[in-house]
Amino acid sequence: MTINAYFTPESLQEALNLKARYGHDLHVIAGGTLLMPQINEGLFYPEMVMGLRRAGMDTVTMNGASVIGAAATMTQMETQTRYPILQEAAHSVGGWAVRNMATVGGNLFNQPPFGDFCVALLALDTKLKIQSADSERMVDLNEFMTNGRVLEAGELIVELHVPNPNGLTAFRKFGRRQANTATIVTVAAQINVVDRVVKGARIALGGVEQVAIRSYVAEAILNNAPISQEIVAEAAAAAAKASNPITDAVATEWYRRQMIEVQLKQTLSEMLGV
Amino acid sequence: MASEIVSFSLNDREVVIVASPLTTLQKVLRDQLGYTATKAGCSQGGCGSCTVLVDGQPMVSCLLPVKDIEGREVTTLEGLTKTADELHPVQSAFFDNFAVQCGYCSPGMIMVSTALLERNPHPTRDEIADAVAGNVCRCTGYQSIFEAVEDAANRMTGQEER
Repeated sequence: MTINAYFTPESLQEALNLKARYGHDLHVIAGGTLLMPQINEGLFYPEMVMGLRRAGMDTVTMNGASVIGAAATMTQMETQTRYPILQEAAHSVGGWAVRNMATVGGNLFNQPPFGDFCVALLALDTKLKIQSADSERMVDLNEFMTNGRVLEAGELIVELHVPNPNGLTAFRKFGRRQANTATIVTVAAQINVVDRVVKGARIALGGVEQVAIRSYVAEAILNNAPISQEIVAEAAAAAAKASNPITDAVATEWYRRQMIEVQLKQTLSEMLGV
Repeated sequence: MASEIVSFSLNDREVVIVASPLTTLQKVLRDQLGYTATKAGCSQGGCGSCTVLVDGQPMVSCLLPVKDIEGREVTTLEGLTKTADELHPVQSAFFDNFAVQCGYCSPGMIMVSTALLERNPHPTRDEIADAVAGNVCRCTGYQSIFEAVEDAANRMTGQEER
């Protein structure tokens, strides 16, 4: 088995044209940190691969609405300062050398126990700009994740649109090591507080199911509740109870469920000061 | 597309190589060019032993298609000094502080440490640990590596202790 072609388009248009021509047969990489390990291991032999590192898709614009190029790296996300939650999430990925390669768009396609950056994006109500050579659409990240991360044959995720920072945010990754680690559970939250009452809570969990998810039960308990230790404990317990975690080499379903409660409770307590 | 030509700068020398599609920089360095300081460890981006600098930025060469670095500047351990007889201050600090046992992680550790000291001449212990967090060492327990990087920082800023 051989890899017949590796395309390195020098522009978005060139990338979209290649995708239009070859469709799903053309496997897309950017940083290479997801697909290259599989190829090195001999688990996967794609015939055609396209690399986006040179396609100019890594521009990050943060004046007004924030637009993040899909091929922007974790290092670029660490150096921006507008979203501390994205700085923290980016820093939680791999080691320095991997963060210089791994991209925002690629992180959406990771499998548990990885894909932590996406959890923070989910808490921020991110939208994806998906393009093909002759079409363009915007999709909620949440919808994209829960619908199986499906792209049409000619499509690429081109940009991520992140709303202005809105309220308090927090990010916490709990793994077996302090750094360069797989996750047991990752928690990201964005919460607006008005007169000590919770408004518009968005709670996202990673490492739990096959993709990053929102905890709607926790959000429902928190929304419109006056902030208190009790409400935080109730939300964390409900999130754990409603969860359906995976068992893998890193942790069991049982342990992950316990840790959802513990980590979410601590995260919320710290961010709300209760 | 049976093979492709790629040219890049390797340790301040222009190189031109021919490789099959999606060949990694690590394979080219070790198997084609004989630059074996760059190690082949996990080939998964998890151990850091293949770390090189691309335009001064640490990257794991095992996951980097060589075609992606067309026209870029690559620095490997061999390129830290002008001649093979000299040692870079980070190398001598690793040597003097016994920050090496089996040596497999050393090239990656030294490349990352060099990149760190270029950006941050006086890193704290936490900053050093953070920089090398992607480089796995299973011999030293990291303490001697942290000490070596601190020593190298002193040597490079003229505050030599020994």
